[in-house]
Amino acid sequence: MVIRSLVSVVDDDESVRESLPDLLREFGFAVQVFSSAEEFLASDCVCQTRCLILDIAMPGMSGPDLQRELTLRQKEIPIVFITAHRDETVRPRLLEQGAVECLFKPFSDTALREALNAVFRLS
Amino acid sequence: MENELSRVVDALPGLVWTALPDGRIDFLNQRWCEYSGLSVEEALGVDEAYGGGWQTAIHPEDLPGLLERWRSILVSGEQGEMEARLRRFDGEYRWFLFRACPLVDTSGLVVKWCGISTDVEDRRRAEEPLHAPWWLRSSERERHFRSIGDSIPALGVLMTPAGEVELVNRQVVEYFGATLEELKGRAVGDSFHPEDRPDVLARWRASVEAGHPYDIESRLRRADGVYRWFHTRGFPLRDTEGRIVLWYLLHTDIDDRKRAEALLAGEKRLLDMVAGGHSVSEILEALCRFVEGTVSGCYCSVVLVDRSGTHLEHGAAPSLPAGFINSIIGRPVNVDSGPCAMAAYLNKQVIAADLTSETRWGPYAWCPMALAHGLQACWSTPISSTAGKVLGAFAIYYDQPRTPTTCEQRLIQQFTHIASIAVERAQSDAALKRSEAFLAEAQRLSSTGSFSWRVATGEVTWSGELYRIFELDEAVPLTKELISSRFDPEDAPFVREMIERARDGDVVEFEREFRLQMPNGSVKYVHTVAHANRDQNGRPEYIGAVQDVTERRLSEEALGKVRSELAHVARITSLGALTASIAHEVNQPLSGIITNASTCLRMLAADPPNVEGARETARRTIRDGNRASDVITRLRALFAKKDTTTESVDLNEATREVIALSLSELQRSRVILRRELADDLPRVTGDRVQFQQVILNLLRNALDAMSGVYDRPRKLVIRTERDEDDRVCLTVQDTGVGFEPQAAGRLFEAFYSTKSGGMGIGLSVSRSIIESHHGRLWAAPNDGPGATFSFSLPRAAKGVTDTHGLGVIRMPVTAARRVMRNS
Repeated sequence: MVIRSLVSVVDDDESVRESLPDLLREFGFAVQVFSSAEEFLASDCVCQTRCLILDIAMPGMSGPDLQRELTLRQKEIPIVFITAHRDETVRPRLLEQGAVECLFKPFSDTALREALNAVFRLS
Repeated sequence: MENELSRVVDALPGLVWTALPDGRIDFLNQRWCEYSGLSVEEALGVDEAYGGGWQTAIHPEDLPGLLERWRSILVSGEQGEMEARLRRFDGEYRWFLFRACPLVDTSGLVVKWCGISTDVEDRRRAEEPLHAPWWLRSSERERHFRSIGDSIPALGVLMTPAGEVELVNRQVVEYFGATLEELKGRAVGDSFHPEDRPDVLARWRASVEAGHPYDIESRLRRADGVYRWFHTRGFPLRDTEGRIVLWYLLHTDIDDRKRAEALLAGEKRLLDMVAGGHSVSEILEALCRFVEGTVSGCYCSVVLVDRSGTHLEHGAAPSLPAGFINSIIGRPVNVDSGPCAMAAYLNKQVIAADLTSETRWGPYAWCPMALAHGLQACWSTPISSTAGKVLGAFAIYYDQPRTPTTCEQRLIQQFTHIASIAVERAQSDAALKRSEAFLAEAQRLSSTGSFSWRVATGEVTWSGELYRIFELDEAVPLTKELISSRFDPEDAPFVREMIERARDGDVVEFEREFRLQMPNGSVKYVHTVAHANRDQNGRPEYIGAVQDVTERRLSEEALGKVRSELAHVARITSLGALTASIAHEVNQPLSGIITNASTCLRMLAADPPNVEGARETARRTIRDGNRASDVITRLRALFAKKDTTTESVDLNEATREVIALSLSELQRSRVILRRELADDLPRVTGDRVQFQQVILNLLRNALDAMSGVYDRPRKLVIRTERDEDDRVCLTVQDTGVGFEPQAAGRLFEAFYSTKSGGMGIGLSVSRSIIESHHGRLWAAPNDGPGATFSFSLPRAAKGVTDTHGLGVIRMPVTAARRVMRNS
């Protein structure tokens, strides 16, 4: 049995939490969804997660907050940020801070595929 | 016989005489001659002038009467009597009775007249008091006249009917400084003032001719050449037959009265000038001239104390050299700068009787200056107001040393009194004019006119500004019709009713806005307040103010327009700022749609196709599509510029929508939102989109207020509830920077902002929206950090349905129409 790499999705938007896992599974990944950063941190998936698809703006802890938190905990999980807020200045800053990619919603399956390829090429 | 008879006749104890039939005296006896002191030759000598020497012994006054009587006796041929005064040898006249009897021959012709004259002086003297006035008793006339004449305080003169002086009393002699003889020698009218003489003589002649009493006022020259005024009355003295025998003239000295009258007339003239509103300089100049005309040889000046009370200013000095006055004007009011300054400073009269030896006012070298102008005496008296304030000084100057007499002091007092009235009146007039001007200016500036109306008399008084507001001519009398014609037809009945009710005795007070229609068709808005007072007689008198608020009304309307424009701008501004979050809202479902669609395709492309999974993803695609559509619908409603509509609104629902639209922004701002929406919230009536705009605005303000907060949670509470007054209340509470309590009032001013990027219109527009819905919007600092903004709205009336009721909402109007009745 092939052990699928775990991709965790953290997004407060229900549409994303519902739609994204199916697509990721189609790509061949195992998927866990969380509605907030706090929920993800509290789960036991942190260590298994090979890739984090992370929304930027969330109530409470934001995506970048979670990124900083993981760095502090020395959990180097590759992160693909997704955001519905199209701000071109955000992307370079996030990439600079170590994100693999930053996708603006709505994004195509191809774009997501390429981002994930980048993640797993790295690893 | 001849001799014998002659001796007998001579020896008779009586004055005997005989006359020829024609009346000529041909014999006078010895006693006659002895008595009269005339010789027989003198007595019988015929003289053309006298008609017989004996006549010289008859009193001149009596002679005509005697001769006339004698002729009538001769004509009658019968015995007769007559009386006349006969001069004794020593000059004394005594009354005699002359009796004459005719000697008749046989044929009845008178051949001789025999006469006898008997001394009846004693008898007449005994008889006279009983029937004759003193002036007819020649023997006593002078004595009598002196006894009364000398004791009366007037000049008494007795004159003959021909106008010659006969007797004068002692006072006459003293006044004219002339003896009786000298006075008799004077030409008629010579003692009168040349100006009075023609009138005096004409009146005297008229009186003498008509025998009427004589009455005139004229000036008589005293011994020292001074003329004094006298009131002269002349009475004719008549004998028993009514013939004028004498004129008795009494000259009463009225000089003091005349002066007082002149003074009074002068005062009256000056006071008339004061009352007539002449300028103070005109009045003071007239006063100076009057004094100079009354007190001969003097020069007058009036100086005034200036407004500051420290320096002298010019009043009047018509006869003094300008150089002299100019060197006084502007001097300080003190004891040193001159007599007038000193009098004003001390409020005491200053007399400088001789400037050549005067030592005061040295520091200002006043005396040399006055002397250089030929003045040698100065009496300066302060002019004080009734309240005792010194207004100036009145000064009399002479070109020789002089001290005022009591009489002059009295005059000075009167003159300074008049001057004080003039100055005080002029000053209070000026003050009144100033205050009237102020009032008129204030009325003009504030576009406020005033009126009064005495109900009982119908007397209406309007201020000038009120005429201007009504565009009526002040010269045209005000009538009810004229005033009513200006009122808008809608308001006119109210005005008429108020007037009628006030006439009926109701006390009508009102404050109300009226519309006026001008003849050119323009409309004016006037805010009118009327209030009833009672006059002295307790009758109602209305006082009112009418303010032209047209401009305010028009600018209110304009402001309303601007506000609604601003509201739109604010919405657009919010739109710009919200674009990102709108995109966010739309992108979320779009993202779901695309992902689902992609998954769906992949599931269908698998081998075997995952139809069940594809169906699920397709269903989610549709749902996300609907979500996106909802977002667009809400946005369209929020950002469409359209006139406000009125509908029944569920504030909870409206709030939820706003929150839904703002969620992403809330998240981005990392704000924890708590909703406390009451379940049983009544609906409100109004424009849903406008309410949402207000809620959105409050929400955004809260987010902005918390954007700089890092040391505490950013918490936002949106609460809806029903308040104590059964109004619907919405509260937005944040934990932001808050505001100073003193800024609470300014927060709602347009363009007031505490935010660096804020336009400062959000809260102002929000408040006008809430107020236009009869609600209230306010702010309060929290007990802890942050602030709470709230608004409350009246709950919708039961049965109110959509689009019913308010229609287009207007800005709040101040035109409260209020009618009050005092009970």
